[in-house]
Parts: sequence; C-alpha cells; structure tokens
Amino acid sequence: MSLLIYGLITSVTLALYAVGFSLVYGVSGIANFAHGAIYILSGYFIWMGLNLLHLPYWLSFSLSIFLTAFLGFSLYWILLYRVRGIPLAELVTTFATGVAILEFMTWAGFSGIRFSLPPILNGSVEIFGVFLDLQRLVVLASGVVLVVGLYLFVHHTKVGLAFRALAQSERTALSIGIESDWVGSLSMALGSAISAVAAVAVLPLGIMEPTIGYEVLIYALAVAIVGGLESTPGMVIGGLLIGYGQLITAKLFGPKWMIIVPLSMIVLVLGIKPSGIFGKSKELEERV
Amino acid sequence: MEKRLRKKRLDRGVKARTDTIFMVASFKDITYLLSPRVLPVLFFLVIPPFLGPYSEKVFFHACVYGLLALSFDFLASCGLFSLGQSLFFGIGCYFVGIYDHFLGLPIYLSIPFSSLSTGLLCAALLSPVVRLRGVYFAMITLMLPMLLMRLIEATGVMGGTHGMPGITGFPNEILGLYLGIVSFLFFLFFLRKLMGSDYGLVLKAIKEDDRCVMSSAINIYWYKAQAVFIGASIGGFAGAITTHHFQFIGMSSFALDYSILPLAATALGGQGGFAGAALGSMILVPLSEVLRELGGLRMALYCLILVASILALPEGIFHFLSRQYSQFYTEAEVD
Amino acid sequence: MKKFIVFFCLVFVISLGLFNEARPADEIVLGIPTSIYTPFGKENIKAVQLAVEEINSKGGVKVGDKMMTFKIEIADTRGGEPTTPVHDALMAYEKLITEKKPHAIVVGAFRSEVLIAAMDIVAKYKIPHLGTIAQTPKFQQQFATDPQKYKYLFRVTTDAAIDAMYANAMLDRLKNDFNLNKIYFIYQDTLWAKAFAGIMSKHVKETGWTELGFDGYAAGATDFSPALQKIKEQQAQVIGMVWDVPLGAGIFTKQYASMKVPALLFAGLVPPIGAPQAPKTIGPSVEYSLNLEFPVGSSLPLKKLPKTVEFLNNFQKKFKDLPEAPAVNSSAYDSVYILKEAIERAGSLDPDKLVEALEKTDYKGVSGRIRFDKNHTAIFGLESPEETGFCVVFQWQKDSQGNLIRVPVFPDVVAEGKVILPPWMK
Repeated sequence: MSLLIYGLITSVTLALYAVGFSLVYGVSGIANFAHGAIYILSGYFIWMGLNLLHLPYWLSFSLSIFLTAFLGFSLYWILLYRVRGIPLAELVTTFATGVAILEFMTWAGFSGIRFSLPPILNGSVEIFGVFLDLQRLVVLASGVVLVVGLYLFVHHTKVGLAFRALAQSERTALSIGIESDWVGSLSMALGSAISAVAAVAVLPLGIMEPTIGYEVLIYALAVAIVGGLESTPGMVIGGLLIGYGQLITAKLFGPKWMIIVPLSMIVLVLGIKPSGIFGKSKELEERV
Repeated sequence: MEKRLRKKRLDRGVKARTDTIFMVASFKDITYLLSPRVLPVLFFLVIPPFLGPYSEKVFFHACVYGLLALSFDFLASCGLFSLGQSLFFGIGCYFVGIYDHFLGLPIYLSIPFSSLSTGLLCAALLSPVVRLRGVYFAMITLMLPMLLMRLIEATGVMGGTHGMPGITGFPNEILGLYLGIVSFLFFLFFLRKLMGSDYGLVLKAIKEDDRCVMSSAINIYWYKAQAVFIGASIGGFAGAITTHHFQFIGMSSFALDYSILPLAATALGGQGGFAGAALGSMILVPLSEVLRELGGLRMALYCLILVASILALPEGIFHFLSRQYSQFYTEAEVD
Repeated sequence: MKKFIVFFCLVFVISLGLFNEARPADEIVLGIPTSIYTPFGKENIKAVQLAVEEINSKGGVKVGDKMMTFKIEIADTRGGEPTTPVHDALMAYEKLITEKKPHAIVVGAFRSEVLIAAMDIVAKYKIPHLGTIAQTPKFQQQFATDPQKYKYLFRVTTDAAIDAMYANAMLDRLKNDFNLNKIYFIYQDTLWAKAFAGIMSKHVKETGWTELGFDGYAAGATDFSPALQKIKEQQAQVIGMVWDVPLGAGIFTKQYASMKVPALLFAGLVPPIGAPQAPKTIGPSVEYSLNLEFPVGSSLPLKKLPKTVEFLNNFQKKFKDLPEAPAVNSSAYDSVYILKEAIERAGSLDPDKLVEALEKTDYKGVSGRIRFDKNHTAIFGLESPEETGFCVVFQWQKDSQGNLIRVPVFPDVVAEGKVILPPWMK
C-alpha cells in the first residue's frame, strides 16, 4: 500500500519536473537545458521573499512564479532569439545559461541547511494505514491541477491554439499570421512558470541546493523522452513508469539501483521507440 | 537621398589561384598560404619544453579535450549529434584498466588496444541507435555514460566508487605530452583529409540528405556505424592517454565535463572542418584554468563567456577567421 | 590568421602564469585546496581563518629568530560535488602548489577519492599536508605502502574507523541500558561512509543485534521512503545513518519526521540533524535523535572541555553563527596551531625538517591531545581527551524551558546528561 501511495507521489513529482520542459520543446523545438536551473532558482526566489523581504507566504509564491516566468520570457528574447535554428548553438546556450545560474548560486553561498522552505501545509494524515505528510498531498494535487489545466489551456484557448499550430508546422503557422517568436517566448514563459509551481510544491519536502538543478534536468529529460516529447498524457505515463519502476527496483535490488531505472529506461525507449510511448507522427521526420 | 554602403566580399588572389592549381608563387604568397598550417604545428612542437609542470598539464588537457572535440565534430559532420564524448572517454579509460591492470600489457600496447576496443565496443553499443537523428541521438549518448557510471557505482566493478590508482605512467611526462600533441595534430589532419575523400563525401551526404544516399543503394547504417567506430576510437585514445598520464581510473571519467567541454569548444570554434573544434579547445581549456583564480565564479563566468561568444559569432571563431583570411571587403554603394 | 595566432599565444601566456605574484619574504603561505562551497569546506576555512588571525595578532610564528605571519591561499577543487572529475580536482591542487607555492597545506581534499589521488602530487612537491576533512581509512593503507614517499602527509582528524568506534561504543550502551537490539543501517554510497557503516554493521552482528537492513543510497538520492517503510514494517528500534551530502540528509530527516517512524535515530553523521541550526531548519522532530560529533569542539561547546567553549565562542564572535557542520572544524583550527608549533620547533620552513618536527607533535588542543602514529594519523581514543583526540555523542533534548538543546551523553568523561528514549518507544 505504501509502495502504491509513495510511488504515485514520486511519479507525480517526476511528471511535474517534466511538464515545463516538454511544453517548451513541444511548442518551439528548443530543448531548454536551463530548465533545472530555473526550477531551483524559483525556489530561492521564494526563500528570498520569505526571509529577506519578509513577505507573506502566498505573496512570495506568486512573486516567484511571476519572476520565473519573466526570466523564461527574457531568456528567449535575449539569448535564444539570436540563435534560433542552430540546434548546437541553442543547446549550448541554454545549457551554459543553466550552469551559469547554478554555479553563481553556489558561489553566492546559496547552499547549506539554512535554505529550506517551510511546507505549505504542516502535519500528516493517515491514508490506508500509511502516514503521509500533507505537503506530499499538495504535490499530488498541484500535479493533477497542472496537467489538467495545461491540457485545457492548450486545447481551449487562442494562445493554446497558436501553441499547437507552431508545434505542428512553424512555416504554416507563420503564413497564417502567428508570430513564431512571440509564441515561442510565451511558451518559455509558461514553461518556466510551470517549473516554478513545481518548485513551490516539491521543494519544501527537503532542503535546497543548487545541485538539485542538474538532477531535475535529468529526470525531466527521462520522463519527457519515455513519455514522448511534447505529449502531456505522455508526461503522466512517463512519470508513473519511472516513479514506480524506481520504487520496485529499490524494493527488489536495493536503493542504490534506483537511479539506474530512469537512465536505462531512456536508453531502452530511444532504442526501441524513439518518439516515446505517446509520441505522435514523428516517425517519418526522425527516420525511424 | 543618403548614400548607403554595403560590404562587398571578394576572394583574395592567393586563395583563388591555389584552390585547385599548384604553382610556384611569390615568397609572400607561399608564406601567406603556409603560415596558418605550419605555424600552429611548429608552436605545438616547440613549446612543451619551455612549460612548467603545471602548464604542461594544462597543455596536455587542452590536447585531450581537443581530441574529444575532433571526435565530436567528426560525428556531427556525419549527422550524428553526440552529447556523449564522455562515453568514449570513460570506456577508453576503463579499457586501459583492463589491459594494464588485469592483463599487465605494456603501455605501447595498452593505448592502441584500448582505443580500438573502445571503437568496437561503442560501435556495437550504438549501432542499434544510429538510425536515430538529431536530438534523439544526442539524448541517448548523453544518458549512456551516466548509466555506465551508475552501473559501476552500483556493482562496484573496477574499483567502484573508489576507482583504481596505480596505473602504469609514461616513462616521463614530457613524452606523454608529446604523444598527446602529435596524436592531436595527426587526427586533426587525418580527419580533414578523410572528409575530403570519397568516403568522407558519403558521410557528409548522409548528414545532408540521408534518403538520397539510401536511394543510391548505400547502406547508411553501416557507414554510420563506421563513423561511430572512428569517432569512438579517437575518444577512447584520449581516455587512454589521460589514464596513463594521471595513473588513475575513476567513475568520474564518465563525468559530464568530458561531454560538455568538447561541445562547447566546437560551438565556440565553429562546427565542421575540425580546425574550429581544435581552436576552440585550445582557447577554452587554458581559459578555464585562468579562471581558476576566481574560485567559485569560475564556472559561471566560463559559461557566460561561452554564451556571449556564441551570440556574437554563432558560426564560430574559426569560420569567421577563415573568411577574413580568404576574403577581403570593399565598400560598395547600394543601388 | 595572424590574429588567430596572436590570440592563441596570448591565451597561453596568460595561462602560463602572469598571475604569479612575488611573495613577501616574511609570510608563511598556507594553501587550502578543498571544496569551498560545501558546509565542511566553508566552516573549515573559517576555522583556519580564526586560528590564523589569532596567531598573527600575537605577532606570528617564530622561525629561527625571525617572526613571520601566516597567509591563506584558497583554491576550489569542487571535490565535494560528486560529478567533478578527479582530474579536475587534482589540477586545482597542482595549480595552488605551483603558483602560490604554499609552505604547508591545511584542510586538504574533501572527497576521499581526491585525497587518495592527491597523495602522489603532494609527495612529488614535498609539501607538508595536514588533512582535516576526508575520513577514509584508505589513507593509512596507501600511506603504509611507501611511508618514506608519503611522509609529508598527515591527518589531524578522525577517520571512519574512529567514528565507528565511538558509534559502536554508543550502540553497546544503548543495548545495555535500554535493551535495544534491532538496527537498520542507511548509508551514503561513498568510500568513507561505507567504511563507517560497514564497521558498525560488523560490530552489531558480533554483539547480538539483529541487523534488519544495510542500505546504500546514491549520494544524490532524494527519496528514502523505501527504507523508511521497511524500518516501520520490521519495527527497527535504531536507525544508523551515515550521510554527509546535506541535500539527501535534509530530505531524509523531513521524511523521517513526516512518516512518524517509531525508531530512535542514531546519526553517525548527518549534518542537518547535528547542526546547531537544526530545530529551525528541520523542525521540532529532531528531538531525541542522537548524533556523533567528531572530534569534540566542532560545533558543540562542552562544559567539561573549556577549550571547546573558548573556540566556539570566538568562532561565533567572528562569524556570527556557530559552525553548521558538526564535524572536523576543531581539527582544522588545531592543525594551524600544530603547524605553528612544529615550525617553531624546527626553526625552519624546510619541508623535511618540518615533517620531522610534525612527527614529534604532542599538542593539547580543542579536539583533545593530538599525537601522530606511524601512519601519520592522529590518535583518537575513548578514554580521555587528556590522552588522545576525542569525540562526543549528543542527543537533542528539551531543557526546562522547552527549548531544544544538544546534550552530550557519551562518553561519560564529557557527558552532561543521560540518553532519553522517545515516549513512543516505551
């Protein structure tokens, strides 16, 4: 039972890491390797809001989400705008920016046990004989809300329509009057905001360290690839597969094998069905 | 109306004359032609004895990263965008462990053996996935070294997390450095020649339009596997000489640094043509050592410099310089 | 192309060391190559700064008949980050040694793997090296292979075997006093922690405990629920935890608290739980957890050892807060004084003479009485801080006002209270 519940929470956490990443990739084709850095940076924004500006809880949260979205937006216009279309340069740019952010935070002394966020909800409940802290329920809830909300947003709003248009064909989208750079930067902003929401939910479970950024990036990649880059239900399935896979491995072989699960899953999926479990119609394009 | 000017590019006479025809030219022309080829080689061969022990290591590192960057650039020109130079590097290191530590082979056998074994093993490992293109191939090569690293951690083979000290070193350090330099230069010119040959033409064509190549009844997967073999052998060679130089094998041979730095070097120097990759690594490695002075800001600044240079010169330094070299500008009036 | 060559040369010339500065003749340079952004590295550097400041303000060190002052040169090896290549950390070592030309190295490598690999470099450049962070017993093994070559290396602090010796003695005490006999080990899968947990595991098996689990987690682990769930199901009474990466340790403690695991937490070393700031960052759930501090004086002032109180007071005065990490800070502080005395005895900065003097060290400092054995490792024991180096086990307990404080409970020489079992275990 506990395996089931904790597995679910781990899976949702992983899906939360991946949603923002896959949104950006799906819409604008940019593999945003600064995703992990943006995630942890938003955590530090909250911390600063709480401890330096002494803002109330909800205000620092929303401030952090806003700031992170703005960061993603400006990242697009300052950096990515200039190198669009050169995949090597795009990748190096985002990765280097991410590392620069993370290393700067390390240098500025943003590590150590002082950096820990208080949980949104304190206390714990017992569900089916398993003790669960409320914060983990928050993770669960925000995961569900985000995935459903994103699905609705993409399918039932005008901006969402533009997102899908750009994802399908950038040139056609251009020809019918969708400014691809605007939509691309909006997707960066939204992707970053989503990663900030994920940070709000997940980070209070532990303490903050810049190195988390690298880890989040790897998990985001793993989930996104397993589920199929750019597909929202794929995120959920990918998260579930990796989350439960890890827990079952831990139970059967011992916890030090856990980290092998996402990595070998990526290798397997890429070897067998590279577009991922839910990847659509990329087969021709990727020559598989 | 205001007179507007535009830049007009013209090929320099020297270049135009000698692209295809060889003829005795003036001393000035010969100097102009030879200097970019000969001067760096001379520089490489002459400078090592003047370096201190620390700078020797930096120089050695620059050559090792240079080899990895060449291997990256080579694979990239075949349409295989690899993020996993550390895969080749690490496997090369561990093969040295096997040959040197377990089989007790002498150093002049263990280096070639481990590079070739690396090439074979990686070609075998990656052959199921050479059909992938673009970002997918990049992801899988990024993940494989991490997977191997974790496997070594979990199973504890070959020293596990602790690694294995006490690998045979080079008889003296300057010899190791020269081996690095000579092999770096050799592979640089070898790959340039290779890509110019008919064989290289096929590889380049695979990158440009693989279906077209397929329709000429060429098995592109077989060619790609061969390309992986060549690229991985070079990476494995870099790993092998590093291991013998530092006399130590550890899990960290699979570290991300060995994938990212060659990539960054190529992005900085300019992709395609190998000289850019070589130039990039010769700039980046010493730069990262200079930045050590700054302590923790080092990596951050390093990345910022990288981003800035990519934004300013997206095509890479080398392509910029080679244009300056072979062309000149005049101002022409815009009609 | 000319530009290219000019640029090329320029970069190299810069890297060849234009940054070299002339060194004033009356300064003794202390090199600190370590991972400066980890809690241990950070606090160790502060401890060294404190010692250096104290010594310099009293006029410095007497070398022969000249007074010289200490100067600190820090280099970041990034050795604490598990993804750093060992080669890279070694480069930092070598750069520090060749460019700053330190007379001695204090603190030293962070990760055990780096320390072992750096031993050859230190031996090559012949620089006295007083290591105070890396805890691996492999140091002595490597040392013993060629004591003449490695004679420049000293370890002023504990190693995993000593930490485990204290932990074992504490476990014996728990077994005798409370009749506890079921234990579950969780350790971080790195060299020293594995050695530490392994020694404990061997000991408990010999002394009649039931070992329910011995789980190694990767250093970057972020979810401990599998182990915690097993602990609950199998009703372990004690959790033996050895972990130094703050991230995982923080997640573990929060998860341990939220899952309401009914076991006594015995932390071999888990920085967030042992740290003075723990009640604030982890919350009230740290109560009852037992922590090992090695050596004494690293973050907990002991009334029975006035030197620890003095050191930590000065530390707090200078840096506004107590050290975050409950380990090895006092060793870093002591190592500077040990070096000072050795220099004064040798009357010279010649490395070989200095090593000879260091070998004869007999210094009563914050961390106890420090002498070196034949493997150049500080001798630690369980009997008395007057005889050997010393460690302490403390427990988080509520004082009369209900504030959480750290009460030293073992060994008896320094104890100020008794172990209290949590109410849910009675």
